[in-house]
Amino acid sequence: MQRDLKFQNNSTDKPGMEHLGDSLDLEPAKRWRRTLSGWLPRLLVSALAVGNGAGGTGSAVQTMSATLQPKGEVSVPSSLTLTAGGSPFTPFTGGLAVSYRVRTTPSGTGSTGTITAQVSADFSPTGGPSASASALTYTCGSASIGTACSGTQTASTTTQTPVVTLPASACTGGGGSCSSTNPASVDLNFSLTDSPAYPTGSYTASVILRISIV
Amino acid sequence: MSRLRLLPSLLPGCLLLLVLASSAQAQFAASGTTTLSATIAPEAALQINTSTTTLSEAGTTFNLSFTGTTSFTFKIRTTKATGTGTINLKVTTDFSPSGGPSVLTPPTAGDALAYTCSLTGLGTACSGSQTASTTSSTPVGTFGANALSANAGNSGSVSWTLTDDPQYSTGTYTATVTFSISAT
Repeated sequence: MQRDLKFQNNSTDKPGMEHLGDSLDLEPAKRWRRTLSGWLPRLLVSALAVGNGAGGTGSAVQTMSATLQPKGEVSVPSSLTLTAGGSPFTPFTGGLAVSYRVRTTPSGTGSTGTITAQVSADFSPTGGPSASASALTYTCGSASIGTACSGTQTASTTTQTPVVTLPASACTGGGGSCSSTNPASVDLNFSLTDSPAYPTGSYTASVILRISIV
Repeated sequence: MSRLRLLPSLLPGCLLLLVLASSAQAQFAASGTTTLSATIAPEAALQINTSTTTLSEAGTTFNLSFTGTTSFTFKIRTTKATGTGTINLKVTTDFSPSGGPSVLTPPTAGDALAYTCSLTGLGTACSGSQTASTTSSTPVGTFGANALSANAGNSGSVSWTLTDDPQYSTGTYTATVTFSISAT
Protein backbone atom coordinates (compact mmCIF):
# COMPACT_ATOMS: atom_id res chain seq x y z
CA MET A 1 0.00 0.00 0.00
CA GLN A 2 1.20 3.40 -0.77
CA ARG A 3 -0.19 6.73 0.15
CA ASP A 4 0.69 9.95 -1.45
CA LEU A 5 0.04 13.08 0.50
CA LYS A 6 -0.14 16.00 -1.83
CA PHE A 7 -0.83 19.65 -1.32
CA GLN A 8 -2.47 21.37 -4.14
CA ASN A 9 -2.31 25.04 -4.73
CA ASN A 10 -5.40 26.24 -6.46
CA SER A 11 -5.26 29.79 -5.32
CA THR A 12 -2.93 32.59 -6.20
CA ASP A 13 -4.23 35.32 -3.87
CA LYS A 14 -3.09 33.91 -0.53
CA PRO A 15 0.28 34.52 1.11
CA GLY A 16 2.68 31.75 0.44
CA MET A 17 0.68 30.42 -2.46
CA GLU A 18 2.43 32.30 -5.19
CA HIS A 19 3.53 30.75 -8.35
CA LEU A 20 7.29 30.56 -8.62
CA GLY A 21 7.42 33.33 -11.14
CA ASP A 22 5.40 35.64 -8.93
CA SER A 23 7.78 35.40 -6.03
CA LEU A 24 11.03 35.96 -7.84
CA ASP A 25 11.11 39.68 -7.09
CA LEU A 26 10.77 39.31 -3.32
CA GLU A 27 13.60 40.05 -0.94
CA PRO A 28 15.12 36.84 0.50
CA ALA A 29 13.90 37.45 4.04
CA LYS A 30 10.45 38.29 2.84
CA ARG A 31 10.35 35.33 0.49
CA TRP A 32 11.47 32.99 3.27
CA ARG A 33 8.87 34.40 5.64
CA ARG A 34 6.13 34.09 3.10
CA THR A 35 7.21 30.56 2.25
CA LEU A 36 7.06 29.57 5.92
CA SER A 37 3.70 31.21 6.38
CA GLY A 38 2.37 29.27 3.43
CA TRP A 39 3.74 25.82 4.26
CA LEU A 40 3.68 25.86 8.05
CA PRO A 41 -0.10 25.66 8.42
CA ARG A 42 -0.21 22.80 6.01
CA LEU A 43 2.52 20.92 7.90
CA LEU A 44 0.56 21.35 11.10
CA VAL A 45 -2.58 20.07 9.45
CA SER A 46 -0.63 17.05 8.25
CA ALA A 47 0.71 16.40 11.74
CA LEU A 48 -2.77 16.54 13.16
CA ALA A 49 -4.01 14.17 10.54
CA VAL A 50 -1.27 11.70 11.34
CA GLY A 51 -1.90 12.05 15.05
CA ASN A 52 -5.63 11.63 14.76
CA GLY A 53 -6.84 8.81 16.97
CA ALA A 54 -3.91 9.02 19.32
CA GLY A 55 -6.34 9.60 22.12
CA GLY A 56 -7.44 5.95 22.28
CA THR A 57 -5.77 2.59 22.25
CA GLY A 58 -6.32 -0.33 19.99
CA SER A 59 -4.69 -2.77 17.74
CA ALA A 60 -5.08 -3.83 14.21
CA VAL A 61 -3.65 -6.64 12.20
CA GLN A 62 -2.75 -6.07 8.66
CA THR A 63 -1.57 -8.84 6.44
CA MET A 64 1.07 -7.77 4.03
CA SER A 65 2.28 -9.88 1.18
CA ALA A 66 4.75 -9.31 -1.55
CA THR A 67 5.33 -11.46 -4.58
CA LEU A 68 8.91 -11.31 -5.68
CA GLN A 69 9.30 -11.97 -9.34
CA PRO A 70 12.51 -13.22 -10.89
CA LYS A 71 14.40 -10.33 -12.31
CA GLY A 72 17.80 -9.12 -13.31
CA GLU A 73 19.56 -5.88 -14.03
CA VAL A 74 22.95 -5.01 -15.38
CA SER A 75 25.19 -1.97 -15.36
CA VAL A 76 28.31 -1.17 -17.36
CA PRO A 77 30.59 1.87 -17.63
CA SER A 78 29.51 4.16 -20.42
CA SER A 79 32.84 3.93 -22.19
CA LEU A 80 35.97 1.81 -22.44
CA THR A 81 39.21 2.86 -24.10
CA LEU A 82 41.12 0.00 -25.68
CA THR A 83 44.87 0.36 -25.24
CA ALA A 84 47.42 -0.45 -27.91
CA GLY A 85 49.64 -3.45 -27.34
CA GLY A 86 53.23 -3.14 -26.27
CA SER A 87 54.65 -3.91 -29.68
CA PRO A 88 53.50 -3.00 -33.20
CA PHE A 89 50.40 -4.68 -34.54
CA THR A 90 49.60 -6.55 -31.37
CA PRO A 91 45.96 -6.34 -30.28
CA PHE A 92 44.35 -3.47 -28.43
CA THR A 93 43.04 -4.61 -25.06
CA GLY A 94 40.75 -3.34 -22.32
CA GLY A 95 38.82 -4.65 -19.35
CA LEU A 96 35.15 -3.93 -18.79
CA ALA A 97 33.64 -4.42 -15.33
CA VAL A 98 30.07 -5.61 -15.65
CA SER A 99 27.89 -5.29 -12.55
CA TYR A 100 24.62 -7.11 -12.18
CA ARG A 101 21.88 -8.07 -9.77
CA VAL A 102 19.77 -11.11 -10.23
CA ARG A 103 16.99 -13.08 -8.58
CA THR A 104 15.96 -16.39 -10.08
CA THR A 105 13.38 -18.85 -8.80
CA PRO A 106 14.34 -22.11 -7.10
CA SER A 107 15.32 -25.01 -9.23
CA GLY A 108 12.42 -27.10 -10.33
CA THR A 109 10.20 -24.10 -10.77
CA GLY A 110 12.27 -22.84 -13.29
CA SER A 111 13.99 -19.62 -13.97
CA THR A 112 17.57 -19.27 -14.97
CA GLY A 113 19.19 -16.42 -16.74
CA THR A 114 21.89 -15.23 -19.01
CA ILE A 115 24.00 -12.17 -19.57
CA THR A 116 25.01 -11.67 -23.15
CA ALA A 117 26.98 -9.20 -25.21
CA GLN A 118 26.32 -7.93 -28.68
CA VAL A 119 27.96 -5.27 -30.80
CA SER A 120 25.09 -2.88 -31.35
CA ALA A 121 27.08 -0.49 -33.52
CA ASP A 122 30.16 -1.64 -35.40
CA PHE A 123 33.36 0.36 -35.39
CA SER A 124 33.24 3.63 -37.20
CA PRO A 125 34.42 5.24 -39.30
CA THR A 126 34.63 2.42 -41.78
CA GLY A 127 37.95 1.23 -43.13
CA GLY A 128 39.32 0.31 -39.73
CA PRO A 129 38.58 -2.58 -37.42
CA SER A 130 35.24 -4.26 -37.77
CA ALA A 131 33.39 -6.60 -35.46
CA SER A 132 31.67 -7.96 -38.54
CA ALA A 133 35.08 -9.18 -39.62
CA SER A 134 35.66 -10.84 -36.23
CA ALA A 135 38.17 -8.25 -35.10
CA LEU A 136 36.71 -7.96 -31.59
CA THR A 137 36.95 -10.82 -29.13
CA TYR A 138 36.68 -11.14 -25.40
CA THR A 139 37.24 -13.49 -22.54
CA CYS A 140 35.39 -13.54 -19.24
CA GLY A 141 36.84 -13.34 -15.77
CA SER A 142 35.21 -15.20 -12.94
CA ALA A 143 31.61 -14.29 -12.18
CA SER A 144 30.51 -13.74 -8.60
CA ILE A 145 27.13 -15.27 -9.47
CA GLY A 146 26.75 -17.85 -12.18
CA THR A 147 29.17 -19.32 -14.65
CA ALA A 148 31.26 -17.01 -16.79
CA CYS A 149 31.86 -17.73 -20.44
CA SER A 150 34.79 -19.98 -21.19
CA GLY A 151 37.41 -19.54 -23.85
CA THR A 152 37.58 -16.68 -26.31
CA GLN A 153 34.30 -15.32 -27.58
CA THR A 154 34.05 -13.45 -30.85
CA ALA A 155 31.77 -10.46 -30.45
CA SER A 156 29.10 -10.27 -33.08
CA THR A 157 26.92 -7.61 -34.59
CA THR A 158 24.17 -10.10 -35.34
CA THR A 159 24.00 -12.51 -32.42
CA GLN A 160 24.24 -12.31 -28.68
CA THR A 161 27.29 -14.06 -27.33
CA PRO A 162 27.53 -15.49 -23.81
CA VAL A 163 28.93 -13.66 -20.81
CA VAL A 164 27.39 -15.33 -17.76
CA THR A 165 24.94 -18.17 -17.31
CA LEU A 166 22.84 -17.62 -14.21
CA PRO A 167 21.57 -20.57 -12.20
CA ALA A 168 18.27 -21.15 -10.47
CA SER A 169 17.89 -19.98 -6.87
CA ALA A 170 20.27 -17.11 -7.39
CA CYS A 171 19.93 -13.96 -5.35
CA THR A 172 22.23 -11.04 -4.92
CA GLY A 173 23.84 -9.84 -1.73
CA GLY A 174 23.33 -10.52 1.94
CA GLY A 175 25.26 -13.75 2.13
CA GLY A 176 23.71 -17.00 3.22
CA SER A 177 22.02 -18.63 0.30
CA CYS A 178 22.53 -15.46 -1.68
CA SER A 179 25.79 -14.04 -2.90
CA SER A 180 27.94 -12.12 -0.49
CA THR A 181 28.40 -9.14 -2.75
CA ASN A 182 25.92 -6.70 -4.14
CA PRO A 183 26.11 -6.07 -7.01
CA ALA A 184 27.65 -9.15 -8.52
CA SER A 185 30.34 -8.62 -11.12
CA VAL A 186 32.20 -10.16 -13.99
CA ASP A 187 35.09 -8.73 -15.98
CA LEU A 188 35.16 -8.81 -19.76
CA ASN A 189 38.61 -8.59 -21.30
CA PHE A 190 38.29 -7.24 -24.82
CA SER A 191 40.86 -7.69 -27.55
CA LEU A 192 40.79 -5.83 -30.84
CA THR A 193 42.94 -6.85 -33.78
CA ASP A 194 45.51 -4.26 -34.86
CA SER A 195 45.99 -4.88 -38.55
CA PRO A 196 48.42 -2.78 -40.60
CA ALA A 197 45.62 -2.49 -43.11
CA TYR A 198 43.70 -0.18 -40.73
CA PRO A 199 44.20 3.51 -41.48
CA THR A 200 45.28 5.68 -38.59
CA GLY A 201 42.54 7.37 -36.59
CA SER A 202 40.10 6.86 -33.74
CA TYR A 203 37.42 4.23 -34.03
CA THR A 204 34.42 3.61 -31.80
CA ALA A 205 31.86 0.87 -31.46
CA SER A 206 29.00 0.16 -29.07
CA VAL A 207 28.48 -3.04 -27.17
CA ILE A 208 25.25 -3.81 -25.38
CA LEU A 209 25.12 -6.11 -22.38
CA ARG A 210 21.75 -7.73 -21.77
CA ILE A 211 20.50 -9.72 -18.83
CA SER A 212 17.50 -11.94 -19.22
CA ILE A 213 15.73 -14.23 -16.81
CA VAL A 214 13.80 -17.00 -18.44
CA MET B 1 20.41 34.10 10.09
CA SER B 2 22.23 35.03 6.93
CA ARG B 3 22.65 31.34 6.15
CA LEU B 4 18.92 30.82 6.50
CA ARG B 5 18.32 33.67 4.13
CA LEU B 6 20.53 32.01 1.54
CA LEU B 7 18.83 28.64 1.86
CA PRO B 8 15.85 29.25 -0.45
CA SER B 9 18.05 30.46 -3.25
CA LEU B 10 20.64 27.65 -2.85
CA LEU B 11 18.15 24.80 -2.56
CA PRO B 12 17.31 24.44 -6.29
CA GLY B 13 21.00 24.38 -7.19
CA CYS B 14 21.73 21.70 -4.61
CA LEU B 15 18.88 19.57 -5.91
CA LEU B 16 20.14 19.97 -9.45
CA LEU B 17 23.62 18.85 -8.41
CA LEU B 18 22.18 15.78 -6.73
CA VAL B 19 20.25 14.86 -9.86
CA LEU B 20 23.30 15.35 -12.06
CA ALA B 21 25.51 13.32 -9.74
CA SER B 22 23.13 10.41 -9.73
CA SER B 23 22.70 10.47 -13.50
CA ALA B 24 26.48 10.41 -14.05
CA GLN B 25 26.73 6.99 -12.41
CA ALA B 26 26.17 3.84 -14.39
CA GLN B 27 22.57 2.76 -14.01
CA PHE B 28 21.17 -0.69 -13.51
CA ALA B 29 18.70 -1.81 -16.12
CA ALA B 30 17.83 -4.83 -18.21
CA SER B 31 20.63 -3.84 -20.53
CA GLY B 32 23.60 -1.50 -20.59
CA THR B 33 25.63 -0.10 -23.43
CA THR B 34 29.29 0.78 -23.44
CA THR B 35 31.26 2.55 -26.12
CA LEU B 36 34.56 0.97 -27.08
CA SER B 37 37.18 3.25 -28.56
CA ALA B 38 40.61 2.62 -29.99
CA THR B 39 43.05 5.10 -31.46
CA ILE B 40 45.12 3.57 -34.22
CA ALA B 41 48.50 5.21 -34.59
CA PRO B 42 51.27 4.87 -37.20
CA GLU B 43 53.27 1.71 -36.65
CA ALA B 44 55.87 -0.37 -38.39
CA ALA B 45 57.63 -3.66 -37.89
CA LEU B 46 59.70 -6.04 -39.94
CA GLN B 47 60.95 -9.57 -39.77
CA ILE B 48 64.08 -10.91 -41.43
CA ASN B 49 63.29 -14.22 -43.03
CA THR B 50 66.87 -15.06 -43.94
CA SER B 51 68.63 -15.15 -40.63
CA THR B 52 71.97 -15.96 -42.22
CA THR B 53 72.63 -14.84 -45.76
CA THR B 54 75.41 -16.76 -47.39
CA LEU B 55 77.34 -14.83 -49.99
CA SER B 56 78.63 -17.14 -52.65
CA GLU B 57 80.78 -16.80 -55.72
CA ALA B 58 79.60 -18.27 -58.97
CA GLY B 59 83.01 -18.82 -60.46
CA THR B 60 86.65 -19.23 -59.59
CA THR B 61 88.06 -16.03 -61.03
CA PHE B 62 88.39 -12.71 -59.25
CA ASN B 63 86.30 -10.80 -61.73
CA LEU B 64 83.15 -12.14 -60.12
CA SER B 65 81.70 -10.98 -56.82
CA PHE B 66 80.09 -12.77 -53.97
CA THR B 67 76.30 -12.48 -54.12
CA GLY B 68 73.39 -13.35 -51.91
CA THR B 69 69.85 -12.27 -51.05
CA THR B 70 68.23 -11.38 -47.74
CA SER B 71 64.45 -11.50 -47.70
CA PHE B 72 62.19 -9.85 -45.16
CA THR B 73 58.54 -9.17 -44.39
CA PHE B 74 57.40 -5.77 -43.27
CA LYS B 75 54.26 -4.25 -41.86
CA ILE B 76 53.72 -0.54 -41.95
CA ARG B 77 50.96 1.97 -41.36
CA THR B 78 51.63 5.65 -41.91
CA THR B 79 49.43 8.59 -40.99
CA LYS B 80 46.64 9.33 -43.42
CA ALA B 81 47.57 12.73 -44.73
CA THR B 82 51.09 13.50 -43.66
CA GLY B 83 52.78 10.25 -42.77
CA THR B 84 56.00 8.83 -44.11
CA GLY B 85 57.94 5.65 -43.60
CA THR B 86 61.39 4.27 -44.24
CA ILE B 87 63.30 1.01 -44.22
CA ASN B 88 67.03 1.36 -43.77
CA LEU B 89 69.95 -0.90 -43.10
CA LYS B 90 73.33 -0.51 -41.46
CA VAL B 91 76.34 -2.76 -41.05
CA THR B 92 76.46 -2.97 -37.28
CA THR B 93 79.37 -5.39 -37.13
CA ASP B 94 82.01 -5.32 -39.82
CA PHE B 95 83.42 -8.47 -41.35
CA SER B 96 85.61 -10.52 -39.12
CA PRO B 97 88.16 -11.90 -38.70
CA SER B 98 90.47 -9.32 -40.15
CA GLY B 99 92.43 -9.99 -43.29
CA GLY B 100 89.34 -10.33 -45.42
CA PRO B 101 86.66 -7.98 -46.69
CA SER B 102 85.87 -4.87 -44.67
CA VAL B 103 83.08 -2.34 -45.05
CA LEU B 104 84.85 0.32 -43.02
CA THR B 105 88.44 -0.22 -44.14
CA PRO B 106 88.55 -2.17 -47.40
CA PRO B 107 92.06 -3.30 -48.40
CA THR B 108 91.58 -1.84 -51.84
CA ALA B 109 89.73 1.33 -52.75
CA GLY B 110 86.50 0.44 -54.44
CA ASP B 111 85.93 -2.77 -52.54
CA ALA B 112 82.41 -2.58 -51.21
CA LEU B 113 79.41 -4.36 -49.86
CA ALA B 114 76.73 -3.10 -52.22
CA TYR B 115 73.07 -3.98 -52.60
CA THR B 116 69.91 -3.41 -54.59
CA CYS B 117 66.40 -3.44 -53.14
CA SER B 118 63.00 -4.85 -53.94
CA LEU B 119 59.62 -4.20 -52.25
CA THR B 120 56.46 -6.01 -53.18
CA GLY B 121 53.12 -4.25 -53.34
CA LEU B 122 53.88 -1.21 -51.27
CA GLY B 123 56.43 1.57 -51.03
CA THR B 124 59.31 2.62 -53.21
CA ALA B 125 62.46 0.51 -53.18
CA CYS B 126 65.86 2.15 -53.10
CA SER B 127 67.06 3.11 -56.51
CA GLY B 128 70.15 1.72 -58.16
CA SER B 129 73.02 0.20 -56.21
CA GLN B 130 73.58 1.33 -52.65
CA THR B 131 76.81 0.93 -50.70
CA ALA B 132 76.38 -0.40 -47.20
CA SER B 133 78.07 1.49 -44.39
CA THR B 134 79.12 0.94 -40.81
CA THR B 135 78.69 4.61 -39.95
CA SER B 136 75.36 5.58 -41.45
CA SER B 137 72.06 4.01 -42.37
CA THR B 138 71.39 3.59 -46.05
CA PRO B 139 67.98 3.34 -47.72
CA VAL B 140 66.06 0.21 -48.57
CA GLY B 141 62.64 1.72 -49.18
CA THR B 142 60.41 4.69 -48.49
CA PHE B 143 56.68 5.12 -47.97
CA GLY B 144 54.24 7.96 -48.34
CA ALA B 145 51.14 8.98 -46.43
CA ASN B 146 48.50 6.37 -45.61
CA ALA B 147 50.75 3.47 -46.56
CA LEU B 148 48.98 0.36 -45.31
CA SER B 149 50.50 -3.08 -45.44
CA ALA B 150 48.52 -6.21 -45.99
CA ASN B 151 47.42 -7.88 -42.79
CA ALA B 152 50.06 -10.56 -43.22
CA GLY B 153 52.63 -7.98 -44.22
CA ASN B 154 54.44 -7.29 -47.47
CA SER B 155 57.66 -8.81 -48.66
CA GLY B 156 60.93 -7.25 -49.63
CA SER B 157 64.47 -8.30 -50.36
CA VAL B 158 67.99 -6.99 -50.58
CA SER B 159 70.42 -8.50 -53.12
CA TRP B 160 74.02 -8.23 -51.96
CA THR B 161 77.23 -7.93 -53.90
CA LEU B 162 80.59 -8.17 -52.16
CA THR B 163 83.78 -7.51 -54.05
CA ASP B 164 86.12 -10.46 -54.32
CA ASP B 165 89.52 -8.89 -53.89
CA PRO B 166 92.56 -11.19 -54.34
CA GLN B 167 94.00 -9.54 -51.25
CA TYR B 168 91.41 -11.26 -49.08
CA SER B 169 92.87 -14.21 -47.28
CA THR B 170 91.03 -17.45 -47.60
CA GLY B 171 88.55 -18.22 -44.87
CA THR B 172 85.02 -17.54 -43.71
CA TYR B 173 84.10 -13.98 -42.81
CA THR B 174 80.95 -12.76 -41.17
CA ALA B 175 79.31 -9.37 -40.69
CA THR B 176 76.04 -8.25 -39.15
CA VAL B 177 73.54 -6.00 -40.90
CA THR B 178 70.65 -4.43 -39.02
CA PHE B 179 67.45 -3.46 -40.82
CA SER B 180 65.19 -0.82 -39.30
CA ILE B 181 61.74 0.41 -40.23
CA SER B 182 59.88 3.48 -39.04
CA ALA B 183 56.57 5.19 -39.65
CA THR B 184 55.10 8.56 -38.82
